[in-house]
Amino acid sequence: MEEFEYLSPVNLPQLLQFLSSPGGRVIAGGTDLIPKLRSGALHVSSLIDISHVEELRFIREDAEWVRIGARTTYADVLESPILARYAPVLLQATRLVASPMARARGTIGGNIGNASPAGDSMPPLLVLEAEATLINPTGQRVLPLEELVIGPMKTLLAPDEIIHHVSFRKPPASRGFSFEKLGPRQGMTISIATAAAAIELNASQTISAARIALGAVAPTPLRCKTAEELLLGREPVEETWKLAVEAALKNMSPIDDVRASQEYRRKATGVLLERVLQSAADLAKRSADQ
Amino acid sequence: MKPIQVNFMVNGKNHQIVTAPNRTLLSVLREDLKLTGTKEGCGVGECGACAVIMNGEPVNSCLVLVGQADGSTITTIEGLSKNGQPHPLQKAFVEHGAVQCGFCTPGMIIASKALLDKNPDPSDEQVREALAGNICRCAGYTKIVEAVQAAAEESNHE
Amino acid sequence: MSEKETLIGKSIPRADAWDKVTGSAKYVADIQTKDMKFGLVLRSTEHHALLRDLNTVTAKQIPGVIAIITMDDVEGSKYYGPINPDRPILAHDKVRFVGEPVAIIVAETLAAAGAARDAIQVTYETLEPVFDPIQALGPDAPPIHPDGNLLAHFEIEEGDLEKGFEEADLIVEQTFKVPRIYPGYLEPEASLAERHPDGHLTVWVSSQKPFNDREHICHVLGLPVEKVQVKVATIGGAFGGKEDSNLAVLAALAAWKTRCTVKLVNTREESLLAHPKRHPAILTYKAGVKKDGTLVAMKVSSHMDTGAYGSYGIAVSQLHTETLTGPYRIPNVRLDTYLVYTNSPISGAMRGFGAPQSNFGSEGMMDILAANLNMDPITFRQKNIWRSGDRNVTRALVNQPESLQKSLDLVKEEIKRLEQIPPAPGMRGGVGFAVSVQTMGLGHRVPDDSTNRLEWQPDGKILVRIGAPDLGQGLNTVAAQMTAEALGLPIHRVEVAELDSFVSPDGGVTCASRMTYSVGNSLLMASQKAIAVLVDAAAELLRVDPTNIQYQNGQLLRLDQPGLAPIPAAEITSRVAEAGKILSGEATFSFPYGPGTPDHLPLGMPHVKFCMGAQVARVEVDPRLGIVKVKEIVAIHDLGRVIHRVNVEGQIEGGVVMGVGFAVTEEMSLKADLHWVNNLTEYLLPTSMDAPPVIKSVLLEYPEESGPFGVKGIGEIPLVPTPAAIVSAVENAVGVRVTSAPIKREDLLAKIG
Repeated sequence: MEEFEYLSPVNLPQLLQFLSSPGGRVIAGGTDLIPKLRSGALHVSSLIDISHVEELRFIREDAEWVRIGARTTYADVLESPILARYAPVLLQATRLVASPMARARGTIGGNIGNASPAGDSMPPLLVLEAEATLINPTGQRVLPLEELVIGPMKTLLAPDEIIHHVSFRKPPASRGFSFEKLGPRQGMTISIATAAAAIELNASQTISAARIALGAVAPTPLRCKTAEELLLGREPVEETWKLAVEAALKNMSPIDDVRASQEYRRKATGVLLERVLQSAADLAKRSADQ
Repeated sequence: MKPIQVNFMVNGKNHQIVTAPNRTLLSVLREDLKLTGTKEGCGVGECGACAVIMNGEPVNSCLVLVGQADGSTITTIEGLSKNGQPHPLQKAFVEHGAVQCGFCTPGMIIASKALLDKNPDPSDEQVREALAGNICRCAGYTKIVEAVQAAAEESNHE
Repeated sequence: MSEKETLIGKSIPRADAWDKVTGSAKYVADIQTKDMKFGLVLRSTEHHALLRDLNTVTAKQIPGVIAIITMDDVEGSKYYGPINPDRPILAHDKVRFVGEPVAIIVAETLAAAGAARDAIQVTYETLEPVFDPIQALGPDAPPIHPDGNLLAHFEIEEGDLEKGFEEADLIVEQTFKVPRIYPGYLEPEASLAERHPDGHLTVWVSSQKPFNDREHICHVLGLPVEKVQVKVATIGGAFGGKEDSNLAVLAALAAWKTRCTVKLVNTREESLLAHPKRHPAILTYKAGVKKDGTLVAMKVSSHMDTGAYGSYGIAVSQLHTETLTGPYRIPNVRLDTYLVYTNSPISGAMRGFGAPQSNFGSEGMMDILAANLNMDPITFRQKNIWRSGDRNVTRALVNQPESLQKSLDLVKEEIKRLEQIPPAPGMRGGVGFAVSVQTMGLGHRVPDDSTNRLEWQPDGKILVRIGAPDLGQGLNTVAAQMTAEALGLPIHRVEVAELDSFVSPDGGVTCASRMTYSVGNSLLMASQKAIAVLVDAAAELLRVDPTNIQYQNGQLLRLDQPGLAPIPAAEITSRVAEAGKILSGEATFSFPYGPGTPDHLPLGMPHVKFCMGAQVARVEVDPRLGIVKVKEIVAIHDLGRVIHRVNVEGQIEGGVVMGVGFAVTEEMSLKADLHWVNNLTEYLLPTSMDAPPVIKSVLLEYPEESGPFGVKGIGEIPLVPTPAAIVSAVENAVGVRVTSAPIKREDLLAKIG
């Protein structure tokens, strides 16, 4: 591995101080960065290690909001009663990330900041309509999550800015969520297609709210607002889902690579989307019945 | 490159290391502490052979920069037996034929321990999920799952 | 005799297991000496190029660099190869694949070696590469080696093919493709070499063939055998991939030139690129049957891609040719295997050695023929499968083919059982099977000896100086077990020594499904000798005629004075040790090719001993995503005699999962950007969640009389029928017949209704 200056802030003020000098790259769990440093795909002059900045590792709730600190690991997510209650879809996705060892180290902030089109935390957070709070040495700003990631491995983060936390409004109890992932093998796998959906039904059992997000099939994770709008007022049945899939397919621009072809990614995403829409609707129906 | 000082506890013993920050925990464990039980199989966290327990959780030590381990408590395969008594997992792996070439074994046992520490009575499926990050090419996983279940049973009867 | 319980069949704990579960077992990369230096290999980044210039001036000046070694530094043989010596130790005028070694950098630290490697300037003149074996034989193909791209052609012709096809009521043709498979052992290749002041070399290896490594090292360095000591560390898996001496030779060269201790460890990426893999192949079958199901003719043309250098390709393609028709009676055949050079990474030995590739084709053909005849696939096979007295297409007599009929009967039962299991909601279930044959031994007229030695220790224990390495499969354990059984000793009184070429005899290469068989036979013979020398020594000490002494279970009985208490062996061995002597028995077992062995085929053919079996697969297919989940494999294998049940099951379970990988996830391919798949995120080994949750081993024992205790081989065959069984199950599930591996989801989706 090439040489770099190693900075290890012990708290948030010190982190912000390091961020104000140029050229630093933040490292959290390291599961994405370290292989790149090892292969020479990435060159850094200094690494700012946030491993010891405890202020960034939290899961909190208040009356309306749930907030997840950027340094929260996937393992933290899986153990959180707050997230189990308000964001089971995030746990669903987290359970399928890589391996237990990767989940002990990988962080939500890292996953978002790495901005891989196949990042598994994104589709669930998008259907939760999460926002990202970014901090820099002089202040902070809040962005809808889908505006933060702008391209493969590209975010709007300024060089002296990091994600502080992501937050989402606690969804209505009657809203059902679901997530599915497809990888080239069953265990410890990258995603070649992911789909997350949220469905809410009104008293007449038609769709009153819908959220759709897809991963690994475009330069960034996708919110499919056109498809969502198409669903409103319709019955939660197969024909309806097929409409959503048709609309969502128009947003997709999947790649061809050694793991899967473009064509297959399209087909597979369509199937996953139908399935998560149905599961989300079933959950919505069940909670309405309770 | 400016060296850094790192303090951590490994297998119950405190260590202070001064070294280059671009080294991994794996390399420090193997080369500086001579704990060669933890193996390098791929260097990128895709095989699990380098797994150790860090602050109670299984991690791939090839993906931990040494600075990131500062202040941590680490257990490697060498630290699993207590007072000369093997851990039930070590015993079970031997007794159930779960060890062939042995290269995946330390990481596999570490990941198994991490599972049983959290879930002392896992189903076969849960065992396989917990070991999905540890590749074995020799044994086909069947006897490994058996060994973990046997160790779980033994521990539950204590 | 004794009421001692037999050890044969007992799953005794492996002696090496404790060291492995505690982390104290030492693999080559774990060896650290005080003054150790680090070596890195500069490798070609071109597929096919002339090497115009190698500029090491800047690199040599980097602090910490000790030497940069190139072909100019090789004083002995500049080329080597396990069969045909076509491979340069280090590339000097041309490179033929990405990953080919060009230079070795030795430095005080790995970092310095890395910096130096980056500073070496290589000037390549790119040549057109070719990656497909059929294209490589075309008229416009770039020549990779001076004699052209066809390395070898093997043929078998029996009967009258044309007449056979005329007799046929139905003729079917099909082409099959099998992928480049990486052995995937967890321990990357590593070697450590030390040059001693007295001029001898010690080379630590992770290798299946330490004595061949020694030979190669001696040739390359121009040293006599007595100057090179090869020591075998704990090996982290091999599966054929460690039959190539490359890294051992490079480490030895580095140590020799620098007079230092040098360690070379491959990264996983280097291992994937530079070490031999399974031969990919394109097999074209044409078969003729009568309407009653009798096979009358078969023509097969197979193109095997041996990559840039031959490695074991010649031997692999021979075994491949011998197994192309499977375990079936076919009177008229014409088989051609073309072994072709391409600019792909080297293909060489890998578990199965050509048989997995042929099985994929032959079992696929059997299913297709049966379907075309509207005949049950089991019935079709029963009609044509080998029976007692039958010979292979090579005219070699088949041993215990009755096991095949038994296997088919068991297959029928298992299919019935598995078909009852409903698939998960939304999935389509299917059950399929395949039969298999694997050969044992290195082939006719290839020297195939195993010499092993037993030494009485002063305390009466026996030390097994085994001459062939344990790769992790448990060879040492069964060697001790068979020795203990032969000598009537409890297992804890038998120890196995580490392999050291200065001390150990040459037990042969660990490969070819014949280790328990050959090493076992050698040890049984050596046991008799060990007993004899012990008896003679006792006779001398006791001043009686040796005929008055009988050995029994570690003790010596006085036949002339039956009232005397038995004498423990230790009494004799300790006194002999005091006199500075060692009592030992050494024996060589030669793999048996009797006078009746057919001799009309080239050197290396035929193989004369066979292992056989069958597997049944239950799969579930997601009809909308094309995902194949293998839920259960039943592995039915005849191994003659089960020495160590748990070891055998371990071989089977591991082999089956390797077969699952071949069928469903594994392929080392050239990507669109002309880079090879070279990491474990793209080369997908089966994880615990990809392996079938149920693997049931059914062990048949049809004893092979030439085998110790009736043993046959099991090392390779467990992965042989798995892919074909899975393909057959997938067809049963979704009506799609797959003819190339790995099964591609898109291909399934395209054809599922």
